[in-house]
Amino acid sequence: MRRRGLGFVACALLPALLLHVVFVLSPYAQAFYLSLTDWNGVAGQARFVGLDNFRQLGSDPLFLAAVRNNLVLLLTLPLGTIALGLFLATALKFGSRGGRSGVRGARFYSIVFFFPQLLSVAIVAVLWGFAYNPNSGLINGGLRALGLDGLARSWLAEPGLALFAVLAVLIWSGVGFYLVLFSAAMDAIPREFYEAALLDGAGQWTTFRRITLPLLWDNVQVAFVYLGMAALDGFALVQIMTVGPGGPDGATEVIGLSLYRNAFTFSRFGYAAAMGVALFFGTLVFAVLALRAGRRERVELA
Amino acid sequence: MRRIPLHLALLGWTLVTGFPLLWAAISALKTDREILTSPWSLPESPQWTNFARAWTEADIGRYFLNSVLVVGGALGLTMLLGALAAYALARYPFRGNRFVYYLFVASMFFPTFLALVPLFFTVQQLGLLGTHLGLILVYTAFATPFTIFFLHAFFRGLPSAVAEAAFLDGCSHAGVFFRIMLPMARPGLISVAIFNFLGLWNQYLLPLVLNPDPDNYVLAQGLAALSTSQGYRGDWSGLFAGLTIAMLPVLAAYVVFQRQIQAGATAGALR
Amino acid sequence: MTRTNISRRDLLRAAAVLGMSAPLLGACVTGGGPGAGPGQRGERSAGNPFGVKAGSPLEVVVFKGGYGDDYVKAAEEVYRRQHQGSAIEHRGIQQVGDTLRPRFVANTPPDVVDNTGAGALDISALAAAGQLTNLAELLDAPSWDDPNVTVRNTLLPGVVEDGERDGVCVHLNYTFTVWGLWYSKSLFDRQGWTYPATWEAMLALCAEIKKTGIAPWTYQGKYPDYVTDPLLTMAAKSGGMDLIRALDNLEPGAWRHEAVRGAAEAFAELAGRGYFMPGSEALSHTEAQAAWCQGKAAFIPSGSWLESEQRDVTPPGFEMTLGVLPARTTADKLKPTALEASSTESYLVPAQAKNIAGGLDFLRMLFSRNACREFARTAGTLPSVAGATDGLTLSSGLGSVSAAVRAAGTELISFRHRGWYPQLRKATDDAVGELITRRLTPAAFADRLQLAADALAKDSSVKKYTRR
Repeated sequence: MRRRGLGFVACALLPALLLHVVFVLSPYAQAFYLSLTDWNGVAGQARFVGLDNFRQLGSDPLFLAAVRNNLVLLLTLPLGTIALGLFLATALKFGSRGGRSGVRGARFYSIVFFFPQLLSVAIVAVLWGFAYNPNSGLINGGLRALGLDGLARSWLAEPGLALFAVLAVLIWSGVGFYLVLFSAAMDAIPREFYEAALLDGAGQWTTFRRITLPLLWDNVQVAFVYLGMAALDGFALVQIMTVGPGGPDGATEVIGLSLYRNAFTFSRFGYAAAMGVALFFGTLVFAVLALRAGRRERVELA
Repeated sequence: MRRIPLHLALLGWTLVTGFPLLWAAISALKTDREILTSPWSLPESPQWTNFARAWTEADIGRYFLNSVLVVGGALGLTMLLGALAAYALARYPFRGNRFVYYLFVASMFFPTFLALVPLFFTVQQLGLLGTHLGLILVYTAFATPFTIFFLHAFFRGLPSAVAEAAFLDGCSHAGVFFRIMLPMARPGLISVAIFNFLGLWNQYLLPLVLNPDPDNYVLAQGLAALSTSQGYRGDWSGLFAGLTIAMLPVLAAYVVFQRQIQAGATAGALR
Repeated sequence: MTRTNISRRDLLRAAAVLGMSAPLLGACVTGGGPGAGPGQRGERSAGNPFGVKAGSPLEVVVFKGGYGDDYVKAAEEVYRRQHQGSAIEHRGIQQVGDTLRPRFVANTPPDVVDNTGAGALDISALAAAGQLTNLAELLDAPSWDDPNVTVRNTLLPGVVEDGERDGVCVHLNYTFTVWGLWYSKSLFDRQGWTYPATWEAMLALCAEIKKTGIAPWTYQGKYPDYVTDPLLTMAAKSGGMDLIRALDNLEPGAWRHEAVRGAAEAFAELAGRGYFMPGSEALSHTEAQAAWCQGKAAFIPSGSWLESEQRDVTPPGFEMTLGVLPARTTADKLKPTALEASSTESYLVPAQAKNIAGGLDFLRMLFSRNACREFARTAGTLPSVAGATDGLTLSSGLGSVSAAVRAAGTELISFRHRGWYPQLRKATDDAVGELITRRLTPAAFADRLQLAADALAKDSSVKKYTRR
């Protein structure tokens, strides 16, 4: 720009910056301070307790259950969602005429598959809460209608199933987005690549492994990071849908729920802030590891 | 012949995604007794009154309008402030430019939960707890970093010639922004607006914590409260009707604008 | 559609946000300045025992939940007549804590607060911070209806104790809630069943009920605390007041007491014999209660709010009735009529209120017989003033609740630790959920909760309370 226009820059930046500092940066900064206090939210002052809150995290059985469950989700949610998203995207794109063109009705499929992405997570949770109801729910009702009464379960009340019932809903609601993401990325892959592979007589699996996946690797990596962050959350589904919530007996407890309960039910705001700080470092470590691991993979594949 | 399993798989997933939504819509037309005793049956006679009851008695109508107001306000404000900031950062070199940019962008990677407790008290101390204005400002604050991140690149890529000519004609900085750059950035603005709309419309955690007054509930919050709260008098058909009311407009708009919406929603991740 | 527009006040706040955010950023979230100080008193007299100053305004903030707030407004009318020229500002709200927390922090609280509901303030924390007025003066003042009886002596047993923190009464609870086992009297009459007085009879009756195709019990499995109440009540009945004290005071070995284990065994046996309606473990309270109202199950545990909660879905002629928990052994320390009861809907006067005398006098009127009768009539639940429902025609459910309270006399069971230590409460409810799905044996149940209580007792970061 030829003119300096600093007055304009100030006017353009300040409102956004102000909101950002007041509602985003300052709360994040305060969280670190609060995590070192025993503040209960009403008493006039907070007492500085050093790292006591963090020490307590280590012996809080519910928090440990939450960490375990978030780790299970971290291992399963990205893999499940990405695998299903890639499969469906590939099927839509190459599902017809020997892998040369899109399957019939691809447009329709991709519209329907995207539906869950449009629904609030609260709506998804309420909906699936009803679907999982053991007596009048969609799933058991369907199983009984098919004569499969033996498979009917108390989906959300059995400790071995509950977390996976939550996981299934998370995958259900996420697949559509990544399917569209991968489809768009596949559209950018030049046709000649595939035609050359077909001429070489490569099968569909080989084509996918040798061409599609490496060229989509950046997108897969982005998806992995996004899904990992979603797996470290899971709060809304668990809070609305599960027994307890967070149960049975901590089987679906997640860090966000522990934090929410400690802050807004137990009035242990300092302790809750410590959970937030722990979650922050967890997310940070995950993001760094995911990006570094991804880089190495890419080198191998290139 | 090899196509058949593939089609079955696609049809299977269509059922898995579409059927629960259809089931909710059908259940919304049943009586409570039908819902509780035969989950898979069709309604004997459609109970349209469920919708009227959900809209007025279960306050879905109020929640819906609250959502429209809050999300509309926040979206407008986010787009305005985000575009202004992104433009200033993208096209005006000044000391601290990079620093301010990273100040915004870095927060995209922080979990919201970390900010939750202090944010609650910040909003409370400003007297904004439970107000629509408070939600609008917080939504805006949380949506601007991505908006800036996305539009920053967009404004950088725009050609300078037209803007230069406008400056020579004596156009002001604001005039250049609003009359020239903003229209040129339209595709990017639409993408990021769609992305923001979906994110804000579906927001649950922030209103749950910052919007405790039932009169001011947004849709997601109101439905969750209806389904879990104590003292709620077991109106299942009304709740399903409420779910349907909450889902239908978004799904209908999506079917009409699906190309733009799919592109907009995934625009951020694709970059 | 009462409030969908951004009000002028909101806009002013926005201006304040945008204009003054720089200094606000510096303000720590935990700040709070010195307040105006407690309110002044005027001259005292027989009709004005606390010395309410003439013309001093009164601000009343109440929880407006299922019971409404008409009964408060009725008491406000009385106050206006008594203290002519006093303006009353009344606010009925839902999220008491969120609304009032900043006002407590800023030392400008209202004069009377009904601290109730899911978002209520933490009373223990307020008391510990010296934010609540000692209500002894109110308790020893003459009651509104009879100057010869003090307010203290009009209250049902346990109400004053419910309001104590460290031996000082800081709040008074307005409603009296009892817990028990609910059944449909008409169904029982039709089937020729009688409500069992002993656990043995309960098991025999359950066997008989099950034969008819009706599930003997259902419960609100999504929220297992609904079962914690009857389980602990059963333990308290056989273990007596000593056990209640031991559990509340986190005494070593309390959870391994024979009475606790016995009660756990009794409930595990219900599950073991298949007396719970299948699927109950995943049902929300509305779902389980609806199934019970439809006659799919004979018993459901709940509190006295059940009748009004189910008002719209109860079939006509259902005759909802509350029964006391059957005695488990013949050697129970408490009488079979003993009942779990506690008062809720906490009224308090903040220590920093401008008009403390007015707040106290208002509570004196609120706890008067007339206000209580109005409450029982409109809210359909029992107030915590003795004999308040005498002479009223009561519904089936409220009538059974009222009769049960009268029969129980002073043997009212309530557990303080559940309010004092929410973490232990959560641990108990989780364990109960596991016990009645038979994933936890009664012995392991007792062990696990003993460990949780021991860990809590050792945790110096949690403030401890003692029950006398």
